[in-house]
Amino acid sequence: MQTPVFIDQLPDVSAVVSHKSGQYRHQRNKALLDLLLKDHSDWQTRSACPACGQERGKSRSFSHTFMDFQRCSNCNSIYAADVPPQVVLDNLRLEQINATEPGKDREFEFISLLNWISLTEARLERSLDSVLDVRFCTQAPDWQDTVQRQSRNRSWHFLPLTPDDGTFASLKAKLRETNPKAVLVPAEMDRTADPAMLLQVIRENSPAGTIVFVTSSCADGLEYEILGADSPSFIPLDRLTIFSICGFKTLAEKSGYEILETSTPGRFDAVILERYFKSADNADIPFWSGFFREADKNRLHDLQILLQRSLKSGVLRFLLET
Amino acid sequence: MTLKAAIIGYGKMGRIRHDAMMRHGGFEVVVACDTAIDPNATIPMTTDPLAVYDYNPDVIICSVPNMMIPDVVCEALARGKHVFSEKPPGRNSSDVRRMQNAESAHAGQVLKFGFNHRVHDAIEEAKKVIDVGTMGDLYFMRGVYGKAGGENYAQNWRNDPALSGGGILIDQGIHMLDLFQMFAGRFTSVQSFVQRKFWTEVPVEDNAFALMKNADGVVASVHSSATQWQHTFRLELYLRNGLISIDGILSASGSYGAEVLTMALNRPDRDGNPSPNPESQEIRFTEDKSWDKEVAEFYDAIAHGKPLRCGTSQQALDVMLLVEAIYAADPEWNAQLKADAQIKAI
Ligand SMILES: [Zn+2]
Repeated sequence: MQTPVFIDQLPDVSAVVSHKSGQYRHQRNKALLDLLLKDHSDWQTRSACPACGQERGKSRSFSHTFMDFQRCSNCNSIYAADVPPQVVLDNLRLEQINATEPGKDREFEFISLLNWISLTEARLERSLDSVLDVRFCTQAPDWQDTVQRQSRNRSWHFLPLTPDDGTFASLKAKLRETNPKAVLVPAEMDRTADPAMLLQVIRENSPAGTIVFVTSSCADGLEYEILGADSPSFIPLDRLTIFSICGFKTLAEKSGYEILETSTPGRFDAVILERYFKSADNADIPFWSGFFREADKNRLHDLQILLQRSLKSGVLRFLLET
Repeated sequence: MTLKAAIIGYGKMGRIRHDAMMRHGGFEVVVACDTAIDPNATIPMTTDPLAVYDYNPDVIICSVPNMMIPDVVCEALARGKHVFSEKPPGRNSSDVRRMQNAESAHAGQVLKFGFNHRVHDAIEEAKKVIDVGTMGDLYFMRGVYGKAGGENYAQNWRNDPALSGGGILIDQGIHMLDLFQMFAGRFTSVQSFVQRKFWTEVPVEDNAFALMKNADGVVASVHSSATQWQHTFRLELYLRNGLISIDGILSASGSYGAEVLTMALNRPDRDGNPSPNPESQEIRFTEDKSWDKEVAEFYDAIAHGKPLRCGTSQQALDVMLLVEAIYAADPEWNAQLKADAQIKAI
């Protein structure tokens, strides 16, 4: 297994502000609140860590705001103790996407995904000429346009986000129909009610040797370690499972995948933390408050690269093979 | 199949080869030869290079100074042995041709030279990515390889041109040139500056700069230095769709750092033009497997008849011709060598 480090320019603070705007957080939390006020007898209770399977009794509390979140003491993953049905999550997500104004230009991020596929194809010496995109086309409406302009040498199939009953029937059908060499799952693992089921459906409906590109938020990120549930990236409805590297590795292996590559290419930890400590005067965490209040752009960049090299940034990538 | 091996030249390199053969498991080292017997050696030793044949080896590992390489290699081939020899392959292209002739006369025997940089993990990975075509056509290469002199610099046989054939370029820079040729084939046009700056009394170069071009117009520049006080290995390849660089090279001394392979595909803007500073992917290699890979390739060539990919005598000849072309391309340097020779004659 290789652990490449993705190095890029540091985002500026304004990008971070829009990254998870206050308004977006507010909308998502309001949706969650509305959900909590309804009957939730159909929610699934997780009796064990969804990543490594350690029983919930051995985990620590991560957050109680809105929902109970636990931090696994074995693998460090963070997870909601109870999760709504997939169909409810999908409907809320679609409502949110439809209500959202077009956001910032995400072309940089999209090309990063496309280049990841291209370099992987070269390094594996294996043609990945057909790719199935799982729901990212709905999550990020500009994505498909970028793909059509910048990735003409592959045939792309897009599975849009539609309300699913938790069996991923449409994904099954699409996998069988398109038989892709690669499957791209950039925004599902942390949002889905049952990530193990999602991994299982992909594996069971793809021929051996299919390459699966996964990105998700990462619980080992410095942002989550320092700020915990105060982290601006922690939006409960979008983060039902925040995997640690160890946690996702365990789950993927248990699901029958071979892990080819792991990385944490997140670029935001350092600037998010800088912004947090510079705006919260009363936040006083030994070492870190001073570090971030005094940090200039170069120091933040150095720290972010150190985090990426140490697998400690807030976003993870896994390259899996069925 | 166990191959009986004799090591001629049991210094640092000979021992590295011995260890690699032991790890491989397909060899039994039956004897080693050097100028002095090491009382702590775990194998029989001799000081007579011809005495190793009394042990009836299948292969000869030749780890001797450059000027002795052709004799040892040709003798071994003539006696029906397979040969693995260190680089540089002698002192000049005539030395290589002599060995090539001996090789042709013994077609069933394997002759391999130790250009181990080709099989370093970072280099192999770079080659793979380029060969697949994702990066597009190669435009240019830049290489820097240098160290701070070396042990006992002025007295070392490596810096006596009669024994070694040249200075830092033929000793260390040759690896970079070999890699250039691996990526771009032969170079047809060469310009250079060859200098001695620090060890002005030593009759070989301590710095060589060269700019070269192949028939397809791929340009490469190399700087080989013995005054690179901060040990450096850096190879950059720029291609149509991106870039690859290798920083550091794993070595016995560890002084060139870990190997860091950086690859980046261009990030086109909306008009399709590459934006500056694309996101790169960095992969760090920390274990030097090159010695093991070389030994394994040598073994497979002998035991299974697999053709050699790295360290063939043709590659050795090509790189030696390039070294000579670089030395020859600086008239000032050649005038200086001529003046040295005249002073010596007086
Ligand atoms: Zn766990």
